Amino acid sequence: MTDSRKSKVQDKADNSEQPATKDVAEPGGNDSVKDSDGLIVLRNVTKKFGDHVVLDGLNLAVEKGKTTVVIGPSGCGKTVLLKHMILLHRPTSGEIYFKGQRIDNISEEQSNGVRANFGYLFQEGALFDSLSVAENIMFPVRQHCRITRSSAVEELVKQKLTMVGLNGFQDFFPANLSGGQRKRVALARAIALGPEVILYDEPTTGLDPIRADIINELILKLERELAVTSVAVTHDMRSAYKIADRIVMLHHGRIVADGDADQIRNHPNRIVQQFIKGEVSKKDLEALRSASTGNSIRLHCDIEE
Amino acid sequence: MAGKAASAVYDVGQFGRFVWRSWVSSARSIGMRETYPLIWAQMLIIGVRSVPVVMITGAFVGMTLGVQAYDQLAGMGLEEHLGVLINISVVKELGPVLAAVMLAGRIGGALTAELGTMKVTEQIDAIESMGTDPVRYLVAPRVLACLFLTPALIIYADLLGVAGGWFVSVVHLNINARAYWNFSASGVELWDVTCGVIKGFFFGGAIAVISCYKGFHCKEGAQGVGRACTEAFVTSLISILMIDFVLVVIFKTIYNMLWTLRSLVG
Repeated sequence: MTDSRKSKVQDKADNSEQPATKDVAEPGGNDSVKDSDGLIVLRNVTKKFGDHVVLDGLNLAVEKGKTTVVIGPSGCGKTVLLKHMILLHRPTSGEIYFKGQRIDNISEEQSNGVRANFGYLFQEGALFDSLSVAENIMFPVRQHCRITRSSAVEELVKQKLTMVGLNGFQDFFPANLSGGQRKRVALARAIALGPEVILYDEPTTGLDPIRADIINELILKLERELAVTSVAVTHDMRSAYKIADRIVMLHHGRIVADGDADQIRNHPNRIVQQFIKGEVSKKDLEALRSASTGNSIRLHCDIEE
Repeated sequence: MAGKAASAVYDVGQFGRFVWRSWVSSARSIGMRETYPLIWAQMLIIGVRSVPVVMITGAFVGMTLGVQAYDQLAGMGLEEHLGVLINISVVKELGPVLAAVMLAGRIGGALTAELGTMKVTEQIDAIESMGTDPVRYLVAPRVLACLFLTPALIIYADLLGVAGGWFVSVVHLNINARAYWNFSASGVELWDVTCGVIKGFFFGGAIAVISCYKGFHCKEGAQGVGRACTEAFVTSLISILMIDFVLVVIFKTIYNMLWTLRSLVG
């Protein structure tokens, strides 16, 4: 983490009980970015679904060769942000750059070329049910490469499965795999084309702590061995601290914190602290405790014999 | 009200765009050898496995027509004309339409459920994320398979419809076989059979595009997939009837023009 990056840690904390939206960074303010800042650059990106604003003038530069982890509560726009980077979503307004080239306004056909530089690990794996593990991993290879020797593809599948510790599972179908195994196969598929960037959508969600740690170790291994740039979205703080070179926190479609693991741990923003500690706000807690549990309402069913 | 109208216009525009993309991708796929295995696989599922259903439909249409029409024609002493009535109804109208309706139920529901499940489990996003156009990979093979095999399935329905009509008329109702076939041959023209088969291209294309569209745009969850399947079947059914009406008008106009020309030349 560079000094300049450290200086980006935002100090917009407001420990008083102000509405959360008052705490966030202003779009185009301190978190505005230059094209030269990163491999992937999002500038003033806003995304609306109908009237619902998911990303609100977001600025972010993803540094090459580093692992950036995006944290935030459910529904804050983490996955939508990730899908913008690979053009599965297009911004309502704003610009997206990859290697200095603007990509948010390119055609669908051109975007397929850009996507070949990315690997994407979906939350549930998104393996093709009708294809075997080997066929799933071969899929991107068949789509983008001219295959002259089938033995070379088999070798590639074996190599990728070995990397994720699942060699020998080539003929299995996704339905026969556990959740952790499915994610590892999906990871093998994501790295099949040797991408420059790997995007992870909730890589450890739904896994037990041991399986989650295996995925974390795999992410670190891939970063080390393949020198890839990684972006992961998660709300698993254990995972975030382990894999991140930089952690960015999203709240209401804006970045409220940006720094390395230590800076995030010690961040003065109330919302950040609540999230990383997994604490409910006093106000919400009181509202929850004072609400009726429904025990006072009883249904009286007279059963006649 | 205005919001609903705007939403309807948006939906129509979205469907039109999807149809255009499907046709362009399908046309391109014809020239791409690597997509042939995908097309063959869909032909097996859509075409070959639908043959029994379509044949049974055709046979019962022919047999039912025979039983229903016999009394009325026999009352006028015209029972030997039963073959014309059955065969022209089967090859021109009932065979193609009922076969298409059966296909809309069998194939349309399956296509929507399959693609809808792929959509909600992010498999379609996964295809796109790997730099592959999901319309080219998923929709084009299904459209081409439906387009080429629906006319073939209609021919099967016609054949079994004719056979069913013959069985009831000649074997069961003891109508003279020679008279039955002679009247049939004089009443049913190659034009009638051609019209029925041509309808198959339109029906097949409509079923495939509507079903794929509903699958691609289905809402989250099991309820979303179920609803998309129902909508796909109902929309396909209405489209089949509408397309049939339009084609009947067009074919009739063309036939009248050709008949006038033939009379002038003759």
